[in-house]
Amino acid sequence: MTGQEPPKNPHGDDGPNPPDTGMGMTAVAYLLSGMLVWGGIGWLVDHWVGTRGIFAGLGAVLGMAGGVYLIVRRLGA
Amino acid sequence: MAVQSMVLADVPFPPSVEDFYLPSILPWGEHDNYWFTKITALVWLSAALIIIFFLVAYRKPQLVPSKRQWLAESLYGFVRNNIAIEMIGPAGVRFAPYLTTLFTFILLNNFWGIVPLIQISPNSHIAFPAFLAVISYVMFIWVGIRHHGFVKYFKNSLIPPAPWFILPLLIPIEFFSNFLVRPFSLAVRLFANMFAGHMLLLVFTLGGFAMLNANAWFLPFSIVSWAMTIALTFLEFLVICLQAYVFTVLTASYVQGALADEH
Repeated sequence: MTGQEPPKNPHGDDGPNPPDTGMGMTAVAYLLSGMLVWGGIGWLVDHWVGTRGIFAGLGAVLGMAGGVYLIVRRLGA
Repeated sequence: MAVQSMVLADVPFPPSVEDFYLPSILPWGEHDNYWFTKITALVWLSAALIIIFFLVAYRKPQLVPSKRQWLAESLYGFVRNNIAIEMIGPAGVRFAPYLTTLFTFILLNNFWGIVPLIQISPNSHIAFPAFLAVISYVMFIWVGIRHHGFVKYFKNSLIPPAPWFILPLLIPIEFFSNFLVRPFSLAVRLFANMFAGHMLLLVFTLGGFAMLNANAWFLPFSIVSWAMTIALTFLEFLVICLQAYVFTVLTASYVQGALADEH
């Protein structure tokens, strides 16, 4: 197989990613990261202010929105 | 019969994490001494086997390859064409040697998990996947910095194309997912698969003994349990190959991300 030609028309550095470039993994990572990061920051704010979880909830939703936005910008189009 | 019942009475069930910590080889049989165990021996054996195999296979390369040379070339060719070039593009050829080493090392280390009488994979201890993940992690960051320069690389990977007012929201997410989740998920995915695989085989093997031990009439169930062990061993083979492949593909994909220009 070493003697084989490398695949024709491999995508270059500038081409689009091939369909299974771990994009699913990246998408899941963005979603989870969004929730965890901003949910976590919200949780800290809760501790700081003394509320019982409102900021953690808001943060998780906000982070999720950010994650979705990132998926669209980075992986879409 | 007496010996047999003694052996049966000794079966520990259910299996626990302790079963992954085998007694020491040097000094022989000592517990709570983990400097040289079966795990250590297997890792060194894998490294030695891979080095020897590739050296021997490529010592006198021939135009019409021998079986050994064919196998080595197939392995390298597979990783080069189907992982390195496929994922990274023409620039991927220079990563093919590292990716092939990674692939064969993980594959062989995982494979110990289903070799009869050995049946534990070094990768079921998180230290080994974690260190492999650290190597890949340092490599893709280093490659990115070499390719773009320090500032431009981090600008590329942390600042998405978005209006300025949402950037404060997005940059922490980018940082978390690109620089914290990646190495963590690489390591944990491989470790958890190997750990769970070993645990499954233990449960079904020891479970058979435990049932037989409880009541001799449970023998048919024990036999079903042992048959399941064999079936699961084949399933494990699938998992072993898949996880080696996934680790290598994701490493290649991270390198591709580091080399990519503006998104």
